[in-house]
Amino acid sequence: MKILVCLKQVPHQDARLDVNADGSWIKEDGIKFEINSYDTFALEEALRIKDADSGSEVVVASIGPDRVTQALRTALGMGADRAVHVKDAAVEGSDSLGIARVLAAVAKEVGPDLVLMGLMSDDSNASAVPPMLAELLGIPHATAVVKVDREGSGYRVERELEGGALEVVDLPLPCLLAVQTGLNQVRYASLKGIMAAKKKPIDVKTAEDLGLAGAVGAAAAKVRIQKIYQPPKGDGAEMISGSPDEVVAKLVGKIKELGLL
Amino acid sequence: MGSILLVAEIQKGAIREASRELVTFAQKLGGDVHSLVIGSGVESLAADFAKKGGGKVYVCDDPALAGYNVDGWAKAIRAAADASGADVILISNTPSGWDVAPRVAAGLEAAFVSDAFDAKEGPVFTRRVFNGKLDAEVVPAGGKVVATVQPGAVAAFEGSTEGSTEKLSVDLSTLRAKFVETKVAEAKGVDLTKAEIIVSGGRGVGAPEKFPEVVKPLADALGGAMGASRPVVDAGWLPHEYQVGSSGQVVTPKLYIACGISGAIQHLVGMKGSNFIIAINKDADAPIFEVAQLGVVGDLFEIVPKLTEAVKAAKG
Ligand SMILES: Cc1cc2nc3c(=O)[nH]c(=O)nc-3n(C[C@H](O)[C@H](O)[C@H](O)COP(=O)(O)OP(=O)(O)OC[C@H]3O[C@@H](n4cnc5c(N)ncnc54)[C@H](O)[C@@H]3O)c2cc1C
Ligand SMILES: Nc1ncnc2c1ncn2[C@@H]1O[C@H](COP(=O)(O)O)[C@@H](O)[C@H]1O
Repeated sequence: MKILVCLKQVPHQDARLDVNADGSWIKEDGIKFEINSYDTFALEEALRIKDADSGSEVVVASIGPDRVTQALRTALGMGADRAVHVKDAAVEGSDSLGIARVLAAVAKEVGPDLVLMGLMSDDSNASAVPPMLAELLGIPHATAVVKVDREGSGYRVERELEGGALEVVDLPLPCLLAVQTGLNQVRYASLKGIMAAKKKPIDVKTAEDLGLAGAVGAAAAKVRIQKIYQPPKGDGAEMISGSPDEVVAKLVGKIKELGLL
Repeated sequence: MGSILLVAEIQKGAIREASRELVTFAQKLGGDVHSLVIGSGVESLAADFAKKGGGKVYVCDDPALAGYNVDGWAKAIRAAADASGADVILISNTPSGWDVAPRVAAGLEAAFVSDAFDAKEGPVFTRRVFNGKLDAEVVPAGGKVVATVQPGAVAAFEGSTEGSTEKLSVDLSTLRAKFVETKVAEAKGVDLTKAEIIVSGGRGVGAPEKFPEVVKPLADALGGAMGASRPVVDAGWLPHEYQVGSSGQVVTPKLYIACGISGAIQHLVGMKGSNFIIAINKDADAPIFEVAQLGVVGDLFEIVPKLTEAVKAAKG
């Protein structure tokens, strides 16, 4: 089984988010980055398939600037076999379809039986790239996957619906699964794994290498962010301040007023 | 704006509320409305939707579409897009909607806008990014647009209109994904929907042992129940039955206290109907403060234990 895992590196969930000067995105300098939370579950699932079938190969791919090397090293440390890093200023400013095009070109070179991705990226919250990539590759897909089982020559997966309901779907291979968080318990990279990762290859590619010069990037994007901003403050909450004791006294007063104490 | 295609969804044998919200959303953009109803034995629902703002409603009725099938839906939407000549396709951001919409957008080489909660002519769409911490205005560069719309963002259209239906024939002989079944949610050991007071902890609680040490004691002191946000459950700190939100339980207690929860939309839909909400978060810009009535910017580990003691003292 050859598995391609697409990872995005995103601002750390606790990073301070300041809008940049032209209001097009956040200021990225000086903040920490991490692997998109959803994608860690995708990687873990791939590694579990490999643990059960040692003939498998797990290839991780990520599009982004230099800092992405760190995310790929982490993935290799966790047990992925090799990495593809698409690093090219010409890809920056791509919309989801542009990203899907780049990943499709990578996937065509890798030739996976299974593509594992995250349901959504924690920064752009688009939930767009996986179904787009499946369409470009001409393979079936499922999103919000919370359970993956081998069934016949394909996979039987459970998709999460609203309120805890599930949808069971059978997919033939090759197929693409975009996973929901909580699908498994994600491992940490062991010291041994991190040492071994140093010898694993990271193949760096440009849009041109992938035959996509001019087809991706800001100029080819079908949609762009015009402005990003702090959500306007509505009526909002009455904010209470003071020392912890003062705050607590006010909270108790309110709970009493509600007749709940 | 030219023509708009709405993709309606059926839930529990009726057109779901989110689909009627698409009618309202389309009015913001302005344009001639067409709709699509997909399923098996859904002609009368389609006829009904035609009279409730759906405009000209295409019906893709086939036993193969009795359960959601991404390949079948993508084909039906493509066929309706061709038949209607729609410039904009609106789909609710539901488990079916988010699954199929980007696939259709890629097939049409259309601009894709995800989970918009507002729009104006242009079109310009507004959506949340960074899990609700920032908003973004996005503009398509031209050409066709596929957009998913956040359920609950606008009110459902309640008027009655003239409309018509038309059958759409779609070749469904080569569906690769196969719908097997839907499993309903299992009965919960912890039924948060009955609790009068809920104290919930989020990722900000930081560690599994802090739930019994910090969050649960306050819930107990108040005679209420403990809840949690999704990352807490994903990490295995608490079982799923404690999860509040779109994929957990939807609760409406008299008092909801959110500790270390940022307020992502999927959490908010599960608790914003609470009678009174108190939020404790160290980030003054956390979106949870927008739905709370009372907010405290501070460290939950300083506030919550003191609050627990004060509640116990008040109860005597
Ligand atoms: C399809 C789908 C379904 C989903 N369903 C659900 C659902 O049912 N329920 C749900 O909750 N989420 C759901 N989510 C996830 C959701 O998008 C968010 O990721 C999640 O709600 C974030 O949880 P959180 O607020 O606990 O964590 P975060 O967003 O990481 O927030 C943690 C907060 O804690 C604060 N904090 C940290 N330390 C402290 C401290 N010491 N004192 C005070 N505050 C502190 C931080 O300032 C931050 O605001 C779903 C997502 C998707 C895509
Ligand atoms: N730059 C990227 N590099 C690799 N994978 C990506 C990238 N952007 C998105 N993805 C994948 O697509 C998923 C959904 O992202 P999105 O559509 O941006 O919400 C992510 O969880 C990743 O698996």
